[in-house]
Amino acid sequence: MPNPIVHFDSVFYTYPGTASPALSDISLDIMPGEYVGVIGLNGAGKTTLGLSVNGVVPSMLGGRREGTIIVGGLDVEDYPVREMAKIVGIVFDNPEFQMSQMTCAEEVALGLENAGIDYETMRRSVSEALNLVGLEGFEERSPLGLSGGQQQRLAIAAVLAMKPQVLIMDEPTSNLDPIGKQEVFGMATTLNQKYGMTVIVIEHEVEVLAEFADRIIVMDGGRIVMNGAPTEIFSRADELQALGLRVPEATALANILGKKGHWKGSVPINTGEAVRSVNALLGVRA
Amino acid sequence: MSIQTAMPTSMIPGNSVIHRIHPVPKILWIVIYVILAFTTQNIFILYGMALFAVAMALLGGVFRPLLKAAYLIVPVGSSLIALQVLGPAADKPWTVLAEVGFVTLYGDGFYYALVLLGRIVSSMLLSLVMVMTTHPSDLFLAFSKLKVPYTFNFMLAMTLQLIPVFQREVGLVLSAQKSRGMKGSGFAAVLPSFVPVFVGAIERVQQLSVSLESRGFGSSGDKTSYRQVAVRIQDWVYGIGGATVMIGLMVYSIMQPGLWNLSDMISFSPRTVLISFGVSVTIFGSVILGATFLSFRKS
Amino acid sequence: MARRGKHAFPSQIETDLAVKMDGAHYVYPNGQVVALSGVDLEVKKGELLGVIGQNGSGKTTLTKLLNRLLKPTSGTVYVNGLLTTDRTVQEMSAHVGYVFQNPNHQLFARTVKDELEFGPRNIGTPEEEIAQRVAAAVEFFDLAAFIEEHPYRVSFPIRKLVGIASVVTMKPSIIILDEPSTGQDHQTTRIINSLMRRLAEDGTTVICVSHDMPLLAEVVERVIVMRNTEIIADASPREVFADQQLMLTTNLQAPQITNIALETVYPLGGPIALTPEELAADIASRLEKGKR
Repeated sequence: MPNPIVHFDSVFYTYPGTASPALSDISLDIMPGEYVGVIGLNGAGKTTLGLSVNGVVPSMLGGRREGTIIVGGLDVEDYPVREMAKIVGIVFDNPEFQMSQMTCAEEVALGLENAGIDYETMRRSVSEALNLVGLEGFEERSPLGLSGGQQQRLAIAAVLAMKPQVLIMDEPTSNLDPIGKQEVFGMATTLNQKYGMTVIVIEHEVEVLAEFADRIIVMDGGRIVMNGAPTEIFSRADELQALGLRVPEATALANILGKKGHWKGSVPINTGEAVRSVNALLGVRA
Repeated sequence: MSIQTAMPTSMIPGNSVIHRIHPVPKILWIVIYVILAFTTQNIFILYGMALFAVAMALLGGVFRPLLKAAYLIVPVGSSLIALQVLGPAADKPWTVLAEVGFVTLYGDGFYYALVLLGRIVSSMLLSLVMVMTTHPSDLFLAFSKLKVPYTFNFMLAMTLQLIPVFQREVGLVLSAQKSRGMKGSGFAAVLPSFVPVFVGAIERVQQLSVSLESRGFGSSGDKTSYRQVAVRIQDWVYGIGGATVMIGLMVYSIMQPGLWNLSDMISFSPRTVLISFGVSVTIFGSVILGATFLSFRKS
Repeated sequence: MARRGKHAFPSQIETDLAVKMDGAHYVYPNGQVVALSGVDLEVKKGELLGVIGQNGSGKTTLTKLLNRLLKPTSGTVYVNGLLTTDRTVQEMSAHVGYVFQNPNHQLFARTVKDELEFGPRNIGTPEEEIAQRVAAAVEFFDLAAFIEEHPYRVSFPIRKLVGIASVVTMKPSIIILDEPSTGQDHQTTRIINSLMRRLAEDGTTVICVSHDMPLLAEVVERVIVMRNTEIIADASPREVFADQQLMLTTNLQAPQITNIALETVYPLGGPIALTPEELAADIASRLEKGKR
């Protein structure tokens, strides 16, 4: 059995100057190649969880951490963030706030420059990364002239240039329009399915996570309160609603019908499944 | 909403001889120009430098944009002339040229006004030409080659990038305030708007630093550069040649006393000075009036 | 009210429409880019309206014409019967409340309470009235814990609510919400949902620009779809979301439940469901009928 690529063991973390912990007793294993969705209310600890994986928490933000986190075989406590950057990449919710360079190529090359990678290799990696995210030819363009979706894809490219094994996306589409959302979610799926990357997506867009994630983690008050396959998690609609969370509309439908005794079998996690099941229920020929 | 401008810089794209010069000699030239301009008081040298800068602009295909950027010279120049003729920055005694009512006009002032103007014009024109023909990233590359510390260089580059961003932010904040009925225009209105822009800047920098850190920024080891500019023989020639000419001019002038300050050798006819003074006062006066008027209008 | 207009259009018209736009056209000051192409729009008082479209489709330009943040390059915009071109933004702020997408652009007072009082005070609301409105807003948005806090000390989602509340206290007859639910979790989105309903019940005209289709589906009566600086559809949510061709060309997605309904009950004569409850009810009644 392969080793988990991300391993949390009884992790507690408190931000400096705060009383209650932002992360409480987090134990978690993520296997290589998994697509994990993380949901929860604002303040539940999702971002803190993401930032713990590459060590920004606690090394950059201070505070007290207990427990062990092992990522890609390395104990995060023993390695500086810039070393972890070679294994874990993280993309944030505001695309523009991740831009700092004059041209797209330089933005993508930034991590490589800092790692002292030689020029030839750098040129190639930049080109590959831009192609991967669908921004080929954008080398000389200014990041600030791009659309939100393009900027976010550029941020992803900048992270991919380091060839990480794990990609964390923290609410990557909250500031994007529908096209931008499609582009970024599509990117996550491609990286996961085509390139076997481990992808951890923190989001409120439960419909997308239900369809593509292998596993859903639900956080509340700094704890992991649910951890399982989408069909299992979203079938527990009442619990999720009690936590103040949404379930995908397809699953909500099945849950309501289930309460009236009409639904058999597992809850659908995408439109296609829902349509098939409902039509079967109604006795409609496909 | 993304920013409309393609690049937040003043670079005019092109492939002229000037564009192709390596950024290090270009920076060297700017430094040379400024040193020479502010040490000499020889108006032939100063305006010669200015003309040379204009020639470079023509060669670089940036003459028109240069003209647009240089229109500032008009109010600056007119104020200098007007004020200097009234009170020269020279040693007394001052040569009195005319007396108009209770105002005395001095001839020495005119020469010094031309010197001051010449300094500004020559350094400004050359700096503009160099900046307009160089990609800002290459400028920063040159800085790093000149051993400017990485972090400082980075901050400088980022600040340049952020100028249009902050212009946009201030605009948005002002719109938001007006939409809540805030009256008053001009400075009093803008001041409280600095808080949101300031906070926005802080949040932005915080998030950016986490993002950069997560990409491995700030490693202590040797850094490589994506941006590469080839160094050619011509670039060495431009660099060394420029330095030599400047030093030559300075040495020559020191060895030949009197070449530095020509105010004794050149004198202007009273009529020239009077007319220039009249024109300058008119221009300068109207600029002041116009600015005052605009600041009182409701925005 | 200044009568500065020297053009052919009356500065004020008699109308019971909240918004009347005719041929509203907007070109950016640099003269090159058209942001809005000759748009006609009528909005009745008290309507609850959603505006959808990709970024760059003209949604924001359209709304900014309503409170005079922008002036139409040609065409006319009458808000509550007043020609916007003849008025200032400040004058229009008494009629139109504009909630910016980024609360950071709005907030600058020392406490949340000051923030809530700022707007109504600017438009000359009497002090007792201001106090009442602030109290009502604090209760509705559950801000009691934060009133003495500095706006930038509270979390971003709360700040967003403060931004909305500080416009609500101005009690404008028309309120524009620019992406009120971005970055918000489900709980806060529910508050925004009930806010819009409450405002509409009170007779306020509500215009909500949003990407959140499920939110709009639940709340609004009318949806305007924008693409490439034009309004390409203007109908009820059901009609808009059921139009699969429209959704395809605009690259927008109808709520998941609507798509499910379209391929299950709708062909059987059932509704174009906008919520899971609605669709479940229809399916349940069919199943029960079938059993009998």
